[in-house]
Amino acid sequence: MRKLLIVVLLFPFAGFAQDVELPFDERGKFIYYEVVSQKEVKAEVLMERAAKFFNSSKELKLQTSPQDSLWMARGKMVINKTAFVLSRPSGEVWYHLYADFKEGKYRFWLTDFSFISYHRDRYGNFVPETTVAIPLENKPGKLNAGEWTAYSKATAREAKLFAERFKKGMSESAINPPTAKAVPTVDTKNQKW
Amino acid sequence: MKLKSILTTASLSVASFSYAQEAAPLQISGSVDTYYKYDFAKVPNIGTSFANDQNSISLGMIDLALKKTTGKASFVGELSFGPRGQYGSLLNGDGTDENSFHIQNLYASYAFTDKFTMTAGYMGTFIGYEVIAPTGNFNYSTSYLFTNGPFQNAGIKGAYAFTDKVSLMVGLFNDWNVYKDLNGVSHIGAQLTVSPVAGWTAYLNVLSGKSAGAVGTGTVLDLTTSYQVTEKVKLGLNAADYSVTNDGGGYSGAALYLQNAFTSAFSLGLRGEYFNWKGVAEESDKHVAAVTLSGNVKAGGLTFIPEVRFDNGSSSEMFKKKNLNPSKNASQFALAVVYAF
Repeated sequence: MRKLLIVVLLFPFAGFAQDVELPFDERGKFIYYEVVSQKEVKAEVLMERAAKFFNSSKELKLQTSPQDSLWMARGKMVINKTAFVLSRPSGEVWYHLYADFKEGKYRFWLTDFSFISYHRDRYGNFVPETTVAIPLENKPGKLNAGEWTAYSKATAREAKLFAERFKKGMSESAINPPTAKAVPTVDTKNQKW
Repeated sequence: MKLKSILTTASLSVASFSYAQEAAPLQISGSVDTYYKYDFAKVPNIGTSFANDQNSISLGMIDLALKKTTGKASFVGELSFGPRGQYGSLLNGDGTDENSFHIQNLYASYAFTDKFTMTAGYMGTFIGYEVIAPTGNFNYSTSYLFTNGPFQNAGIKGAYAFTDKVSLMVGLFNDWNVYKDLNGVSHIGAQLTVSPVAGWTAYLNVLSGKSAGAVGTGTVLDLTTSYQVTEKVKLGLNAADYSVTNDGGGYSGAALYLQNAFTSAFSLGLRGEYFNWKGVAEESDKHVAAVTLSGNVKAGGLTFIPEVRFDNGSSSEMFKKKNLNPSKNASQFALAVVYAF
C-alpha cells in the first residue's frame, strides 16, 4: 500500500522529469527530425495527404509550391506555463517545418525555432510583447536562464505533439475517417417494466 | 484510514486533471508591485497617477486576472487590491467609500467569425499608451496623458478585422471610469488599428460624449503608436487632444518613448512629454514638460525599475521647494519592483 502511495504521489513529477531539450543539427540549431516508413504507399499519395494536412492546419503556412520535392512551411506554437489545472500562455515559438517524400516513406523536421514573449495587454489578454523573435539557441544571461530553458523544453514537448498530429494526418485512417458511430438510444415506450 | 483518504484525493485530482486537459484551461495571471520614491524637494510633488508616497517603501497593488475561453465565447475578470487600486483609481460602486478593490476588466466577448467579435462589460480604456497595470508600462511613474485620460470604459463594442493590417472597433460607452452611467449610455467611441509594416502599429482613437454633470460634450482624439525599429530599439508616441464644449476645458499633449534593450535582461527607456491643461472659461492654460529615464532589469518574472524624473511647469504654483515655497520644477527618484505571474 505504501508503495502504491509513493507511485501516486510521484506520478505528476514523472512527466516533468522526462522533459528534455531538442538535439542540435549540424548548423547548431535545435531540430526535431523523424523518418516515417509507410510501405506500399506511393510518394504522390503521401504528398496528397500532406497537402490536406497543411490546408486544414491554421497554424501552418506552406511557403513552397506543392510541386517541389522538399516542402517548407512556417508554423507557430504557443508555449503555456502550466500548474495543475491552471495555465497561461507565456509566449509563442515560430519554426520551419520541412517535409520530404519518397516511395513508401517520408521524413520531416522542425527547426529554426525562435521565441516571442507574451505579455498581458490592457484587456487582460496575452499578446506578443514584440515582433522580434529570438532564436531559441540564443541563451540569455544567468538572470533569465531558468525561464529560457523552460521555454526550450516546452518547445521540445510541443514539437513532439505536433509530430504525432502530423503522423496521424499522414496515416491512411486520417484520409478515410471512419463514419460516426450511431448514438445509442433507449426505447422507453415499448419496454416492459 | 488516513492513507485511504489521501489516495482518494490523489485519484480525484488526477481524474480532474485529465478532464481539465480536454477543455481550454482557466488562465490565471497577475502582478504584484511595490516601490520607493524620493522627491528631491522632500515633499510629494509630481502629481501623476501612482507612486506618490514620499520617502516611503509603499505598495502598489496585487492584480489578479482570470480568463476562460469556451469555443467562441470568453470572459475576462481582473481585480486589483492595494493602494494603487484602492485610492489611485476608482471609488466604490456606490461612490461613497474611496477604500475599495478595483475592477480592471470585467467583460465577456463572443467571436462571431474569425474577423468579427463583440464585447460587452467593463474594459481597460482603448485610449492612450500607458495602462494601469505596471507590467504594461516601461516607466513606473505615469505620464500626464495617462493620468488625465480615461482609465476604463464600460460599454459594448464590435471589432472587425478587414485584413491582418487594418481593423476597426466601434462602441457605445458609459461615462469614463464608472461602473454605471447616471445619464445613460452617453459616449460613442471608435478605434482604427493600422499595422503598415511588421513591428509598427498605430491606433487612431476617438471617444466623445457628455458625462453626467458636465458643462459640455467632451471629445478625445488620440493617436497611439509604437514601432520596433530594430531587435533592440523601440519607439513609441502618444498624442492626444481633449476638448469640452462650452469652455469646459480639456487637455492636449504628446509623449515620446524611446527604449533600447542593451541585453536580454537590461533595457533603458526615456520618456519625454509635453502636456497642456486647457483653461476652463476665463482661466489661462498651463503646461508642463517632463523627462523620465527608467531602467528595466529583468530576472524571470521580476523586473526592477530604477527611475529618475524631472518636471518643469509653466507656473510656479505647480510644485514646491524644500521650504514649501512654490516652484516651477520638481525632480524625483524611484525604485520599483514588479513581479508578473
